[in-house]
Amino acid sequence: MIGQTATSDVILRTERVSKQFGKFTALKDITAEFRRGAITSIIGPNGAGKSTYFNLLSGAFPPTSGQVEFEGRDVTGLPQHKFAHMGVAKSFQITNVFPQLSTHENIRVALQALSSRYNIWTPRTSYKDLVVQADELLHRVGLWSRRGRLAGTLAHGEQRALEIGMALASHPRLLLLDEPTAGMSPEETRVMMDLIVQLAQERTVILVEHKMKLVMGISDRLLVLHHGELLAEGTPADIRRNETVKRVYLGQREH
Amino acid sequence: MAGLTLDLIGLQLFTGLALGAVYVLLAIGLSLIFGMLTVVNFAHGAFYMLGAYVGVYLLALGGNFWLCLVAVPIIVGTIGLVVERFLIRPLYGRGIDYPLLLTFGLSYVIVELVRIAFGKAGYPFDTPELLQGAVDIGIGYFPLYRLFVIAAAGVVLLGLWLFLERTSFGLIIRAGARDPQIVRVLGVDVARVWLVVFGIGTGIAALAGLLAAPLQGVIPEMGGPILVEAFVVTVVGGMGSLLGAVLAGLLVGVVVSLSSLFVPEMAKVSIFALMAIVLLIRPQGFFGRAGLMS
Amino acid sequence: MHEASHISEPLAAAPRHRASWFELARQHRVLLSSAFLLAFPLVMPFTALAVNILIYGLYALGFNLLFGYLGLLSFGHAALFGTGAYLCGIAIVHFGMPWYAAIVVGVLGGVAMAAAIGVLAIRTRGIYFAMVTMALSQCVYYLFYQAIDWTGGENGLRGINVREISIFGLKFDFIDPLTRYYVVAAFVILALIFLSRILASPFGAVIEAVRENEARARASGYNVTATRLIAFILSGAFCGLAGALQALHLSIVPIEIMHYETSGLAVMMSLLGGMGTFFGPFVGAAVFLLLENLVSLWTVHWQLFVGAVFMVCVLFFPKGIWGTLLQRVQK
Repeated sequence: MIGQTATSDVILRTERVSKQFGKFTALKDITAEFRRGAITSIIGPNGAGKSTYFNLLSGAFPPTSGQVEFEGRDVTGLPQHKFAHMGVAKSFQITNVFPQLSTHENIRVALQALSSRYNIWTPRTSYKDLVVQADELLHRVGLWSRRGRLAGTLAHGEQRALEIGMALASHPRLLLLDEPTAGMSPEETRVMMDLIVQLAQERTVILVEHKMKLVMGISDRLLVLHHGELLAEGTPADIRRNETVKRVYLGQREH
Repeated sequence: MAGLTLDLIGLQLFTGLALGAVYVLLAIGLSLIFGMLTVVNFAHGAFYMLGAYVGVYLLALGGNFWLCLVAVPIIVGTIGLVVERFLIRPLYGRGIDYPLLLTFGLSYVIVELVRIAFGKAGYPFDTPELLQGAVDIGIGYFPLYRLFVIAAAGVVLLGLWLFLERTSFGLIIRAGARDPQIVRVLGVDVARVWLVVFGIGTGIAALAGLLAAPLQGVIPEMGGPILVEAFVVTVVGGMGSLLGAVLAGLLVGVVVSLSSLFVPEMAKVSIFALMAIVLLIRPQGFFGRAGLMS
Repeated sequence: MHEASHISEPLAAAPRHRASWFELARQHRVLLSSAFLLAFPLVMPFTALAVNILIYGLYALGFNLLFGYLGLLSFGHAALFGTGAYLCGIAIVHFGMPWYAAIVVGVLGGVAMAAAIGVLAIRTRGIYFAMVTMALSQCVYYLFYQAIDWTGGENGLRGINVREISIFGLKFDFIDPLTRYYVVAAFVILALIFLSRILASPFGAVIEAVRENEARARASGYNVTATRLIAFILSGAFCGLAGALQALHLSIVPIEIMHYETSGLAVMMSLLGGMGTFFGPFVGAAVFLLLENLVSLWTVHWQLFVGAVFMVCVLFFPKGIWGTLLQRVQK
């Protein structure tokens, strides 16, 4: 029952959320819970509604019906920037940085969103703590040597790492990642998966992934979507055994 | 309010529809071009004005109005093709603002070229002989020419509708307006489609200018205010929506003409008030899609 | 911060920018721009034109804050400029206010008009913005046109006679063109200082972030709509000041100041000079006004040249004159 979920180990919940785009139903009646401190992966074949679900969870757009609940509070329809203020951060499926700003400035801007959004007078160089914190985050995601480079000139993998750095800037309790390894080389993928596991030690991580094999090893729980509906839910072992899931993924080329 | 009979209001309503018909033709071209090319054509008013002037020129050469109705859209539409091919096409992919800025500069050039060719003073434009006079439409006498404008706009819309619904080219345009990606996947030469759409849009604008000429005369600056009004129509109807352009065009025409009857001092600002209300209640317009411009 | 514990490398080894003279010039842009504007009458024999360049440069600067730095294209800035001019004029003509109070009224007028137009126009997205601002500005034009008692209607607002300007007891002859130039320049320099502070502030970073990537800015926790509205209002303050100075300079406010061609001027000057550059708007204003003056000596059809030059600029020099120059120097 919404509002009564005393179970504080649930950080995010969706109650019968659906999403219509015109006549097209992208998502239908999904009820699910995400446990605090866990890595939960949302998987499914192409067109399963993963990205739509991700966008509902991260507040990019509201559901057509149903309710999204973060830490016991109804957050359905809150504007995107409020999600960041609550402690929900996300990365995008397509690389999404500020290309004409330096790598350092990208993170500094993300950090600044918590403290000073509308100050039009004080020079930003006087916010020394933000500069230091940005440097720390650059270390954290392995971009220290790229500090002064324009973000748009970074390699693909580096831009994805920068995005994670920007997401971490808001000290999120919940980190939402949309196909964080899309388009990455095997080496870059390995580095990214290590980083995700490391980050998950301190916060909840939800990630959307097309490649099932990739997330089987690191996820605590999995949600399988198919044709906009929740097909299965459980531990990796449960999912591996699930016959329906096998059928859906049969014929789907695994990467 | 003596003299404000229902008949008078009815007649004013018809006047509004005639005015609205001109708006519809302008807005439909704007919307068509935007829907396909995502270009806001700031030179649309200039093409409208050019239509009237090409009409003036053809009549001086000894042509008649009926010939103009066919020739003007073709001539100005062809100019539109050249503009799209050589001026706008290089700007695709450089952001949505650049084609807009270019057409804005172009409007200056077109207006000034017309001033050079035809002088700064305007021309009167006689109503074609066959369409002079008034007819009894049941509630009173109404100028025949205004009825003709409404009918002509109707014919153009019908033709456009048939073109979009019944031809394979029209199918491509409709698909493309919904999702340009689809058209590319189908292996259609998008550049050619865009070229034709721009030509059609400017051609219809020119026809609107010609139709409006007998109503208001012809001056080089005639495209300015009406462009702003066409923008209002597009915002009210929803950018990229053809149905929206038609309904909002007629509505704006009626609002202008009724407000000039009831509150003449507010006639000029009434449509902006309408736009403001629409923006407050439904920012994407009557038939606009919410996420279209993001 | 627990993240700090993961850092192994020393932070002191930050790769620093080489402090080139270009970087130095950028840091002292207010000083350099001011120095140039103060020396400008020495190379510019036509002082009245120089005053125009200052005022239109300031107007374009206000526009540039919105278009160049935030990436929002407005075609309604004439309403902001015009409201500043009219309100300054009305304060003097109808209320007998002193010149400095009238300037404040003008600036506040620009701010209020920007807030009114902004609240409506910001509700739309992207490309609608240009159309909606243009339409609302046209509406403001009609409103001022019809308020004849206050604005003089199509005859314009006449009788703004400021002959003498006194600052802290010092009296300046406002009729003398050179004195007038320096009085206007003083206000422009104040505006430059303000703009520089805005650009260097946290909010300055936000507007660039919004221009660069709206979705990312939202996800980072920025309210993009509020950011745009504030920037529009700030832009209104600059344009309102420019308008107020224009009223004092012309001693009349013509109704054409509200015309959409005046909105177009800001767009043209800004792009010609170089959008998103600090000094570009003044370069754009200077080139535009010189071009207008020179070409109109030769033909009445100077708008043909202006339009053509603008199109060439859009097609081949989108960074504008000053922007292209800066880019060359930087390499």
